[in-house]
Amino acid sequence: MADHNPDSDSTPRTLLRRVLDTADPRTPRRPRSARAGAQRRALLETASSRRLSSQTKMTTRRYSHGVRSISGSAYVQASGHLEEQTPRTLLKNILLTAPESSILMPKSVVKPVPAPQEVQPSRRESSVGSLELQLPELEPPTTLAPGLLAPGRRKQRLRLSMFQQGVDQGLPLSQEPQRNDDASSLTSSLNLTFATSLQPQSVQRPGLARRPPARRAVDVGAFLQDLRDTSLAPPNIVLEDTQPFSQPTVGCSRRVYRSLPCMPHTGAKDAELAAGCKTRSSGPGMQTNSPEKPAQFLAGEAEEVDAFALDFLSTSSGVSGEDGVEPLQDGVEEAEKRMEEEGVSVSEMEATGAQGPSRAEEPEGHTQVIEAEESQETAEAKGPGASSGDEDASDRAASPELVSSTPESLQARRHHQFLEPDPPPGAAVLSSEPAEPLLVRRPPKPGTTGPRPQQDPHKAGLSHYVKLFSFYAKMPMERKALEMVEKCLDKYFQHLCDDLEVFAAHAGRKTVNPEDVELLMRRQGLVTDQVSLHVLVERYLPLEYRQLLIPCASSGNSVFPAQ
Amino acid sequence: MALSTTVSQRKQIKRKAPRGFLKRVFKRQKPHLRLEKSGDLLVHLSCLLFVHRLAEESRTNACENKCRIINREHILAAAKVILKKSRG
Repeated sequence: MADHNPDSDSTPRTLLRRVLDTADPRTPRRPRSARAGAQRRALLETASSRRLSSQTKMTTRRYSHGVRSISGSAYVQASGHLEEQTPRTLLKNILLTAPESSILMPKSVVKPVPAPQEVQPSRRESSVGSLELQLPELEPPTTLAPGLLAPGRRKQRLRLSMFQQGVDQGLPLSQEPQRNDDASSLTSSLNLTFATSLQPQSVQRPGLARRPPARRAVDVGAFLQDLRDTSLAPPNIVLEDTQPFSQPTVGCSRRVYRSLPCMPHTGAKDAELAAGCKTRSSGPGMQTNSPEKPAQFLAGEAEEVDAFALDFLSTSSGVSGEDGVEPLQDGVEEAEKRMEEEGVSVSEMEATGAQGPSRAEEPEGHTQVIEAEESQETAEAKGPGASSGDEDASDRAASPELVSSTPESLQARRHHQFLEPDPPPGAAVLSSEPAEPLLVRRPPKPGTTGPRPQQDPHKAGLSHYVKLFSFYAKMPMERKALEMVEKCLDKYFQHLCDDLEVFAAHAGRKTVNPEDVELLMRRQGLVTDQVSLHVLVERYLPLEYRQLLIPCASSGNSVFPAQ
Repeated sequence: MALSTTVSQRKQIKRKAPRGFLKRVFKRQKPHLRLEKSGDLLVHLSCLLFVHRLAEESRTNACENKCRIINREHILAAAKVILKKSRG
């Protein structure tokens, strides 16, 4: 806030100087702190009002700056009397110290004012002063703004009249706190100031004023409007309707029916799994694809899908998000190949298991899709509506969550992946695909769940290094290449363990020491005479590990870790 | 622990060492041996360096073939060289 003053006060300051020059030069030019003189406050108030008027000539922005400075200066004087220092008063004090022209009012103007104020005790004075300060500041903006071009004298008179009005208004209000005790006066002052707090904030401190929030609302509304306009399907229920079970407005029975099989499937997945982003994104992918299917499919296929989905429910509990993501990604890339070769796609779909039906649906659905987003949204909108009618409560509970979370996540991530590669698949391919993959996919389901727990932790650990590999490579890589990296890592681990065993045995130990590992690295050529182990540790490992590995002296002549 | 650091790439690389995983792998390989406390951190460091070298080598291979994407062949060739180097 203090920053604003120097910038904004350039012109207000000059104006103020002009005003002051025209006014009574007897006025003191230095801020008087902690003076019980009501005259000072009155001076300030009138000065503030005058400054307000003088500055309204300029643009409103400058006006606001000037008002801020004036009000700040006025507040300083008022707050100088205050026993309690509120943050606002302190800040205003700070504000005032920046501009040199803080207070300057001709005493002549003050005369009518001081009388009522001197009566009040200091606290009440402060409250009243704040009141009065606020009131005239409030009024001048509204009344003075419309083109006050009168010279200083006229402005003074005008200000005086306005000020008097303000004083009159302030006086009756101030009567109440006067009657009360000091404690109550505090509260009343609080109440009084509270009422006007909003406006003065914006008026006196434009920097703090919240710029009209209407812009944001318009943006969202415009966004929704755009969605509505572009979407050919019914309005976007998911985005607008926060109800989990919104009834679908579209009476497309097929779509509703289609969404059913996928809903339970995805619902079951989410209900069982931790519902990570992966599962969600995979879920909605399946959701959205399935509803788009119906346009082409007949009811007979719907039955197959239903049965299939039920099978999914029973067996796909083990289908984890991880698999969901990668096969999905696979499916995305493979969708392109699918256009060319059905057999390849079928086999791939088999391999991916649960994701198969969704993938089969993807190309078909996407041909239908005019705009990916809208179709997905509508599908999701129908999804909850469809599922609510037929599915279990758990599924329903899961699916709305899916649906609610999916629009953003799905649109954000899977959009480009799913929709862009898919658009142009052939219709013939689409029609023939669904039957085969549906039938083929069932057997692999139970099989995939078996070896998973065994391999998963190992692969999960390796995947950490695989990610690091792709990070170090800084280049795009094929998936097969990543599998190769996994194999290489496996081999490397084996070699590593063998070498460590040999080194430990050579030293006559049965426990592998860090020295053994260092020796191994030296033999690998990583640690040389030029590059020591500590250097490598500092370079590659995070700080916490470095502390554990490198002995460091600490207070008390102790070294950690102990050597 | 420094769990993850946002890097220039989209991914968030975890800087944490999978200590449990490393211990488990070592135990599975050599059940009769024991690994010391900070030993697995150094093992992790050596793995990092191995992966780093492998990535550099495969990147070099890919660039030599003027490919924009790293293929299996690049990695295979790189692995041969690097594994031989890391034999100790």
